[in-house]
Amino acid sequence: MPRMEDSVSAGFGNGVDIDTQAAAWAVRSAERPLDSAEQQQLDAWLEADSRHLGAYVRAQALWLDIDRVVALDGGTQRDCPTPVREHPWRRYAMAASVALAAFAGTVAYDHLVGRVSTERGEVRRIALEDGSILTLNGDSAVQVRYEDDIRRIILRRGEASFEVAHNKQRPFVVSAEGLDVRAVGTEFVVGIEDSGVAVTVEEGIVAVGGKASGSAQPRYIRRNEQFVAAATGPRKAVLDTADVERRIAWRNGLLVFDGQQLGAAAAEVNRYSDLRVVIEDPTLARAEFMGVFKLGDAQAFAGAAAQAFNGEVVRRGDELVLVRQQNSPSH
Amino acid sequence: MDRQAQLRWFAREVLPHEPDLRKWLGGRVRGLSSCDVDEVVQEAYARLWIAEADAIRSARAYLFVTARHIVGEHVRRSRIVAIDLVADLDALNIIDEEISVHRRLSGQEELARLHEILQTLPPKCRQAFELKKFQDFSQRRIAEHMGIAESTVEKHLAKALRLVSDGMKQAPAGAQDGRQRERRFWKWG
Repeated sequence: MPRMEDSVSAGFGNGVDIDTQAAAWAVRSAERPLDSAEQQQLDAWLEADSRHLGAYVRAQALWLDIDRVVALDGGTQRDCPTPVREHPWRRYAMAASVALAAFAGTVAYDHLVGRVSTERGEVRRIALEDGSILTLNGDSAVQVRYEDDIRRIILRRGEASFEVAHNKQRPFVVSAEGLDVRAVGTEFVVGIEDSGVAVTVEEGIVAVGGKASGSAQPRYIRRNEQFVAAATGPRKAVLDTADVERRIAWRNGLLVFDGQQLGAAAAEVNRYSDLRVVIEDPTLARAEFMGVFKLGDAQAFAGAAAQAFNGEVVRRGDELVLVRQQNSPSH
Repeated sequence: MDRQAQLRWFAREVLPHEPDLRKWLGGRVRGLSSCDVDEVVQEAYARLWIAEADAIRSARAYLFVTARHIVGEHVRRSRIVAIDLVADLDALNIIDEEISVHRRLSGQEELARLHEILQTLPPKCRQAFELKKFQDFSQRRIAEHMGIAESTVEKHLAKALRLVSDGMKQAPAGAQDGRQRERRFWKWG
């Protein structure tokens, strides 16, 4: 971690310099706990002049308050120069260890701002105050905004599943990139994917509306149906129960493959693991594969795939490369 | 109150009054070479932070009175002071007048104002800010996404906070009530 000297220590003096330093400290202390050297540095700076404390408090309060203001944004006003839609976990191997927290119990969230987010490989299950249950997939973020007449959840990135407590007077609405999914009492999953926002209904019925739905009238999505608000236009698909179950298996800390291509399966596994499974052989990547794995267990997946296709696993740094055995017959 | 709760209290009860306070101070510290508005605000915030928040009934009144004390201390320390400054400081009812005219922005106005300020940020700075605050990314993820060092992300974010906080120093276009009242006051003054 870089020391604070670069951004903070330069220049003491007028109120404007103080604000600059205060901003740097506020951003850093909000990101992570300061280490002891940083804490000493901050304390020394605060003691040097009483105005430093005032500026630091101001910067911290503002940085925190921006979360409250942003929480008012329904996910539709965002005007991001480069919206994040692609899944960086497919491109980056991260060195940090991934804590698999699937069903580790419910977690507290910040009730004032209502924000919950997960790291890659972490699944969180959250009991909301009305009795509804929110399960957040890895590398995802939501904002919970409950008002008297509406229970609103804003999906900022990734995927979340909802088990909605019935309350006709207070509809439950999930908003994601201009799509509004309204439910009264039901179970469904909303995910922001490469192809668009996908809504999959497990139980009951939801009404899909909003700018991104492509229709002024709400569209009703029923059990085992999937709606995708894609850039190329909205589409609806009927899934079978097994397919729906497979799609939500992450909620139980599992990944289920039932005839998916090995390449796609590996991408799914990599979503939860810092060890990446790599398949360079295109015919192998297209082979159909079945199996059930714990989220994050890339090694078990690679081992099972190697066994199924008479291949072997070669470790290359953070990568598990799946190759065919030299003497095996090729297609 | 824990620190986080106290910061939220500060954001909710104190920060919204800063533009008015700055305006009020602007006319009063001009005659003083020893202090500027930024410094008085910082000093006032430091005192407000150390004070027991539970005991403060009106943060706005407390803030204005504290700022007035600070200016008063500077006046007493200065050898030469403009006469009108001293006269203003004696008029406590001016503060009462200012205190009564605050109009709180609605949430949507606050959001619109934030978006407006974000338009003025340099592109990378703004991108880092939006990934942080709108998409809740960690600095590490922002670094990966933007293909820059984590320390650079931190600098972008600190700069963004600095620029947003500068934007917040002025009253937004929507808050007309306070301004009109103040203009009227100045005519009388």
